[in-house]
Amino acid sequence: MASCHTPTKTKKDSEGKETLRVALAGNANVGKSAIFNQLTGLNQIVGNWPGKTVERAEGTLHFKGYKIRVIDLPGIYSLSTFSMEEIVSRDYIAVEKPDIIINVVDASALERNLYFTLQLLELEAPIIIALNQVDLAAKKGFKIDAQKLSEVLGVPVVPTVAITGSGINELLSTVIMAINGEVKMNPLRVRFGGEIEEKIQDLEKIVAEKLSHLCTVYPARWIAIKLLERDADVAGKLKNYENGSAVLDYAEKMASELEKMHGEPSSVILASERYSLANKISKETTTIESPPKISLEQKLDAITTHKVLGYPILAAVAALIFTIIFVGGNILSEAINPLFNSLTLFITNALSPLLPTAAIELINQGLIGGIIAGITVALPYIIPFYVLLALLEDSGYLPRAAFLMDNVMHKIGLHGKAFIPLMLGYGCSVPACMGCRIMETERERFLTAFVVVLIPCAARTVVILGLVGRYVGLHAALALYAFDLVLVFALGRIAFKALPGEPVGLLMEMPPYKKPSAKLIAIKTWSRTKDFVYVAFPIIVAGSVIIEALAITGFIGYIVNALEPLISGWIGLPAVAGIPLIFGVLRKELALILLENALLQQGMTLADLNAVQMVVFSLVVMIYVPCVATIAACTREFGWKKALAIAIIDVSLALTLGGIAYRLLSPLMGT
Amino acid sequence: MEQKDRKQDAQNNTHIVSLTSLPEGAKGVVAHAIGGYGLIRRLAEMGLTPGVEVKLNKKCPFRGPVEVEVRGVTLALGYGVASKIFVKPLRKEPNG
Repeated sequence: MASCHTPTKTKKDSEGKETLRVALAGNANVGKSAIFNQLTGLNQIVGNWPGKTVERAEGTLHFKGYKIRVIDLPGIYSLSTFSMEEIVSRDYIAVEKPDIIINVVDASALERNLYFTLQLLELEAPIIIALNQVDLAAKKGFKIDAQKLSEVLGVPVVPTVAITGSGINELLSTVIMAINGEVKMNPLRVRFGGEIEEKIQDLEKIVAEKLSHLCTVYPARWIAIKLLERDADVAGKLKNYENGSAVLDYAEKMASELEKMHGEPSSVILASERYSLANKISKETTTIESPPKISLEQKLDAITTHKVLGYPILAAVAALIFTIIFVGGNILSEAINPLFNSLTLFITNALSPLLPTAAIELINQGLIGGIIAGITVALPYIIPFYVLLALLEDSGYLPRAAFLMDNVMHKIGLHGKAFIPLMLGYGCSVPACMGCRIMETERERFLTAFVVVLIPCAARTVVILGLVGRYVGLHAALALYAFDLVLVFALGRIAFKALPGEPVGLLMEMPPYKKPSAKLIAIKTWSRTKDFVYVAFPIIVAGSVIIEALAITGFIGYIVNALEPLISGWIGLPAVAGIPLIFGVLRKELALILLENALLQQGMTLADLNAVQMVVFSLVVMIYVPCVATIAACTREFGWKKALAIAIIDVSLALTLGGIAYRLLSPLMGT
Repeated sequence: MEQKDRKQDAQNNTHIVSLTSLPEGAKGVVAHAIGGYGLIRRLAEMGLTPGVEVKLNKKCPFRGPVEVEVRGVTLALGYGVASKIFVKPLRKEPNG
């Protein structure tokens, strides 16, 4: 196997059960993850690629006595160094050499998708085509001849409709047949035009000769093509080789010659060549059956991206989502709570003969309390949120929202796509932080995360509505939200100016609207909830135990005393408010319950606070450190230094603004 | 420097206009794109190569994003990105 890259039929001794490795590759929005979910169902692990913040989804399935491991490669536009996703994918294909690669191709946009297929063929990888969304193509009025396409590309083509699961069995059978060498694989050798091909072959010879070691991993021709395209990642790989710089110089000369001839950057010349081949193949295999009809989906698209109507619709969608999350979350949360009260009571009763009170307190308030905190947030708010998110994603509404908000997002130096994590932020900051991955550059990701954590999540909304909304009035709560938006924009602008680097413009595909499938939404929600639990739970529980231990040992009293000048002197709250603010780091809506408890011990209730104190408390809770789970998510995405920087900036900002608000509002509100 | 020449080029040649100045519903053929190497390459990879036909579906007001159709795919481009793409307008079709 180690010998070469000619697409050999990887014949394996198929005795007994062996594990086959299958990779899914394709453009974004072609139904690749739908195929992945259909294949693996709930048997999947979502994580990160080692050392990269690129999502890695893997699952296993059993088929005809084979165990098949499926890796879902990140959805990408092409196999060149634009983003981490692309490098991850092509390195996996070249280095790990999966037994087969299923290239998911969108039948309704064949030409565009074949561009990617051609690049897979350049990598000389063993591929099978899943010709997906054939139903959508039919709707657009055309039909793809799968047989003909298979002949032209020299690899098997299986038509599928991933959303309904049609064609999935045939796809798996074909995978097995291809691996066992039972179908003919004679992959098309991608040839370029005249002088381009000459230069590639020329360079290929030199690469094969001088970089023989690198050629055991990557095909020589592929290296030659990438060098000609001035691919930074491949050029970087060459630097480790003795002959590397000589080859690089030669490639540079070739590329310049080509550019002089064509008057375009070499990468554009090669892209044009691939596209013209893709166009030719697409034309050969497509038959137009009927003129395209204006479908319901197109009408929906026209209305939802309308320059005027689009905005009220967006606002209505957002309002609907929040209502569902809050109303639904409250109902669920209240249904779960009594269950845990009886659990803690049960533990107290069961353990009181065995352990000292302090230990029981630690278990109940710390350990169990932490788990409860996790569950009463995760179940009632996160799950409905993930369901709605999956609906928005799978239907195709998210890119429309990004399109509408592009202009607004530019005001803070970001583009439309940043609106998506920002919107997620109103649900929960953890997925919102992870959602920053959709931004193209590291700079944009961090900038987006920086503003996203300032968006009041569901838990913070509980505090704002439960305190200010309830006792001061809805107008004051809304004013807080409005202030938050102003703050987000102001800080976004400052961060945008302060961070070095160039802003990136919006460049995104708008997939057509699709009817989402309940099964796929359930699978998505499940795997994301699992991921959330893995990130957030250990930290919430550990944090809860630590803070409880501080309380039991009396340390919390010292901390409150130490903070008194800040809490009562600077932001004008009762000194005991320090406790809920500390605990609030675990889970922000806890801050309100704890404030109530702390006040009760002083013989006061929430209603005894004056309006200014309520506003200041909510303001501080809204802005100061994103909760521990969010810090953990930020650390995972950006490293601990940047996560810490965000936390420190937010705490200082919250306290500064709290103090200013106290001084400004007191005379205004007459307290 | 090269970019400047190209801009000049685009201004002198009356047949070539920026994508943002196409009216809604109009078609054009991509002549070239200006800007950084990364952007030009990315545009090419998303199908916006010289010589390809594009249809401008929608323009948002206040220098907002535009929506184009190219190679059977709908793309959203920020105003800044779209203004760097130059096209040769095609004669209007009766339907629009």
